[in-house]
Amino acid sequence: MRKFLTPKGLIGLVLVALIALVGILAPVLLDPALATKMYMTARLQPPSAAHLLGTDQLGRDLAVRVLMGARTSLEIAVVAVVISVLLGLPLGMISGYAGGGVDNVLMRLVDTLLAFPALLLALTISAVLGPNIQNTTIAIGVAFTPYLARIIRGEALRVAQMPYVEAARAAGTTNLAMLGRHILPNILPVVIVQATISLAFAILAEAGLSFLGLGTQPPAASWGLMIQASRDYLEKAPWTGLVPGAAVALTVLGLNMFGDVLRDVLDPRSK
Amino acid sequence: MTNALVSIDKLRVEFSTDSGTVIGVEDISFAIRPGETVCVVGESGSGKSVTSLSLMRLVEFGGGRITSGVLNFKRPDGSLLNVATADADLMQAIRGNEIGMIFQEPMTSLNPVFTIERQLTDGLRRHKGLSADAARGRALDLLRAVRIPEPERRLGQYPHELSGGMRQRVVIAMAIACEPQLLIADEPTTALDVTIQAEILALINRLKRERGMAVLFITHDMAVVAQMADRVVVMYRGRIVETGTVTEIFENPRQDYTKALLAAVPKLGEMAGTTRPEKMRLIGDDNPATLRAAQTATPRQPQVLLEVRNLTTRFPVKGGVLRRTVAQVHAVEDVSFELNVGETLALVGESGCGKSSCGRSILRLIEPASGQINIGGRDIRALNDHDLRRARADMQMVFQDPFASLNPYMRLREQVSEPLRNFGLATGADLQDRVAQLFDRVRLPREFMTRFPHELSGGQRQRVAIARALAVNPKLIVADEAVSALDVSVQAQVLNLMMDLQADLGLSYLFISHDMAVVERVAHHVGVMYLGRIVEIGPRAAVMENPQHSYTRSLLSAVPVADPRNRRFRDDLSFKPIVSPIHPLGHRPAPSIYTQVAPGHLVLTA
Amino acid sequence: MTYVLNRLLSLILTLFLISLITFAVTNILPGDVAMMIMGTQSNPEALAGLRQSLGLNDPLLVQYGHWIGGMLTGDWGNSLIFKKPIAELLGQKMMASALIVVMSMTFALAAAVPLGVWAAVHRDKWQDTTASATSLLGVSLPDFFWGIVMILVFARWLGWLPSSGYKDPAVDLLGALRHALLPSLALGLGLMAHLTRMTRSTMTGILGQEFIRVARAKGLSEGTVVWRYGLANAVGPVITVAGLQIGYLFGSIIVMESLFNFTGMGWLTYQALLNRDVPLIQATVFVIAAVVMIVNLIVDLLYLVIDPRIRLG
Repeated sequence: MRKFLTPKGLIGLVLVALIALVGILAPVLLDPALATKMYMTARLQPPSAAHLLGTDQLGRDLAVRVLMGARTSLEIAVVAVVISVLLGLPLGMISGYAGGGVDNVLMRLVDTLLAFPALLLALTISAVLGPNIQNTTIAIGVAFTPYLARIIRGEALRVAQMPYVEAARAAGTTNLAMLGRHILPNILPVVIVQATISLAFAILAEAGLSFLGLGTQPPAASWGLMIQASRDYLEKAPWTGLVPGAAVALTVLGLNMFGDVLRDVLDPRSK
Repeated sequence: MTNALVSIDKLRVEFSTDSGTVIGVEDISFAIRPGETVCVVGESGSGKSVTSLSLMRLVEFGGGRITSGVLNFKRPDGSLLNVATADADLMQAIRGNEIGMIFQEPMTSLNPVFTIERQLTDGLRRHKGLSADAARGRALDLLRAVRIPEPERRLGQYPHELSGGMRQRVVIAMAIACEPQLLIADEPTTALDVTIQAEILALINRLKRERGMAVLFITHDMAVVAQMADRVVVMYRGRIVETGTVTEIFENPRQDYTKALLAAVPKLGEMAGTTRPEKMRLIGDDNPATLRAAQTATPRQPQVLLEVRNLTTRFPVKGGVLRRTVAQVHAVEDVSFELNVGETLALVGESGCGKSSCGRSILRLIEPASGQINIGGRDIRALNDHDLRRARADMQMVFQDPFASLNPYMRLREQVSEPLRNFGLATGADLQDRVAQLFDRVRLPREFMTRFPHELSGGQRQRVAIARALAVNPKLIVADEAVSALDVSVQAQVLNLMMDLQADLGLSYLFISHDMAVVERVAHHVGVMYLGRIVEIGPRAAVMENPQHSYTRSLLSAVPVADPRNRRFRDDLSFKPIVSPIHPLGHRPAPSIYTQVAPGHLVLTA
Repeated sequence: MTYVLNRLLSLILTLFLISLITFAVTNILPGDVAMMIMGTQSNPEALAGLRQSLGLNDPLLVQYGHWIGGMLTGDWGNSLIFKKPIAELLGQKMMASALIVVMSMTFALAAAVPLGVWAAVHRDKWQDTTASATSLLGVSLPDFFWGIVMILVFARWLGWLPSSGYKDPAVDLLGALRHALLPSLALGLGLMAHLTRMTRSTMTGILGQEFIRVARAKGLSEGTVVWRYGLANAVGPVITVAGLQIGYLFGSIIVMESLFNFTGMGWLTYQALLNRDVPLIQATVFVIAAVVMIVNLIVDLLYLVIDPRIRLG
């Protein structure tokens, strides 16, 4: 745990805690209507006392929007990662533990899915289902699944070959108990680290999808959507893009740093 | 000390770690004279490697720092150089040129993507300024000097095309390329099989003699020390315990630690004339009652527990798009033996001989291809999955690596109780009592029950593994190199524990090991394996004192004996290389046919 | 040789699976191809006739058979939005994308390898911290954000480079490079960050190996030890990871080409998705996945040439 007391660990920890806090508290403390409230007389205003981070092309307060957008972006990212873990964990764990024909078939499928770039897969699924928050979440979750399944499978394979698994088999442990007692606890650190890093990627993916108009739809506030909206006004009002961009950067940076330190702490191979 | 090649005075090395500064070694002083072999011996963590790396100033690359002391090295021009303070450029000129070094792992000591020629010649070209052609010629001479067959062909090959023994010869050739005054050998044979170890030790001895090189030999193995050393430095926890000539150290050790270390080393041949196993006489454990424990079990009418007939196990070699089997590893080939109740059968052999596969096949942790396995009259191969799970309560296994054989995320209590819970043998308070008793049995404090594996030492973990195996009251324990990864003093304690348990509980052991001296100590019967087959099997005394098969003989002749008056590796040795056990599909090997040379003593004839 | 043959056979199997997945995903599309061709105001009978002639009433398996049959015989159909043969469209756009993919990969490798080695050599020192901070920043911003910043700085404020469009290198090489430069740099930044981390961890592992210690014990200079003995072993793993990043790149170009109005595969895919041009979606998705697969195969075969252990093993 001492690793969290390094500068990198502390920054990561603080950033992640801060963002989680904002994501949870912003919609509770702020009136959601504020996010879409337009101050028609104050369009594209630079940061000022009235609007701390300025306003966008429709005169909406960027500070409020970026705080409310945190909820949307984080919700999509978290649920998408949960979906990919729920799909990828059993797939990878069973494939790695069972080996043989099961493994061959499952991994051939996963490898084929991996040939589709995650963003392309997410975009296509989102376009097929019709872009909205719910479908964007599903699309990202499904697109990330093969990556996670691959990593978990590799880890499960490594653990399945450990002598303690063989010893447990010799001691009469059933397959189900083996997965629960020996395989899962030993791959969990890697799953947690990968989920943290996937969270960072999911934030980026949401931003990318929304930027292309195939993710979150207006007038909802999401960071990707805000960056897209700022495109045509950047020269006149760079803050309209810089504010949501900074929000994405700080979140992803925090998650990556947190994930790195978590890996050092949890992953037995890094010791 | 003026004629010394190297004189080390009060060396102190520190390492900076996450948790502050740690002392690697301190107050190290000894000398190496021209042309002599000094062995530095110690168990893991004794600082023996730190000392040799300091002499090369390589310790800095591992995070260490020489904080005080003098390391004087007499250069070929007669000048004295304090290596501890020499600048980096000068050290580069000395490394590989005036001091050569070889390391433990022949498999990783050579750069996998460069040819042998490149790796042999780059030192020569750097230090001696040879042209490419001249260096190539010199490289050929060196390969001949280390007795590598077909040296011309080797130059163009990559490391992975060479066997482990050959790679270590190449590493030695690299180290002596510039004719150094001193060769440092850091555990050069630890990763090698015993016959290859013998060849390498003999090679180092010959090169030392021919070239008048001094050798600093780092090892944990007292038997190797007895074979190689002129003088010995014994180290413990970063300090020197004792120094002396090899005969002084072995015959008249002054310090308790040295005495304890020597007591824990089994000496091949010391059991001659006895028939039954005998516990190790450890210092501080000289209560005559416990010493005799292993012998008190009264010899009964032998009763067969395990009977193995014509056991064959093969592993598929997969290839192609559809991952079809294209060839087979004949891991176990027509193996038959019996193991009596309360006795130990040792399976010995070198790596890849099939001894581990044989043990796993008996528990059906891997599926045998054919043959019969009977334990207590039950046909193991005929069982379905459900009954096999039940039957495994009679047979348990202890593995080699104490760090990998326990689940790192489970408390020790849970791990030891798991077999009991699996078979529903105990619940609640009864379960807790049983586990506590098991910890008592393997002489671990009960407060260890709530700990996790990483809080224990290697020996303690191995005791937990034994407790886990004992939980279901098995009749048979397959011990697969169960003490091989342990330091020698810990190894002796665990061996004694195993022999006590056998005497108390009437356990049978299938003791799988590469270490002939340990086997001599613990086994009632010995089976020697080679290429998947048992080539010779019989009572321990018969096999070890009167070996009949040529492989058994060469194996026994290659074992270093912990006795400096019985030196075996003076002249070049060359054993037959082991051939591959991989055969194409459909290959039908001949059955194993044995001749009985004495009652129960069988030798493979075909 | 059998290895190469096996890999080729395996590729064919994978391509078949890719085609199945592509077809399966795109056929859940609620859009109606016939209606897209004729417009929403069209005559229901004519619409039904067109459906019949397009085979849209056939069972899915038959439709798949028609589609894959067409793909195999070179008849990839017409794009609904561009009213042009898809094969012709794809050929042009693939060339454009290849340009920025190769350029961004070159930028990324040229920067990442030295930076990663440098960080590994000075592990846990300020050099390592600098390199890891740089690469963390690189992976922490969406690459289209870098793209926007570059447009602002290099196109709008400094006016050095064009902010959008594409030029055919066969017609105007310099113009093509100028147009490709900004999107390639923006793509290369994220990639570089990733490859730097990879190179660092690979080199850290290699520098801890015994043969590095042996090389030092031979008295070789640190430069030789790191840049010859060390790096020679890192080339294989780094190229493999770089090859795997081709997939990531082909995802990123969808956003980047749209941002820069650079009319390559990514831009084409985006247009197809936005306009529900089903035949074009199928073709682009299939081709991108196939290209990723083939590049990975080439990288694996390249590894054969680099690493003697696999070459002869």
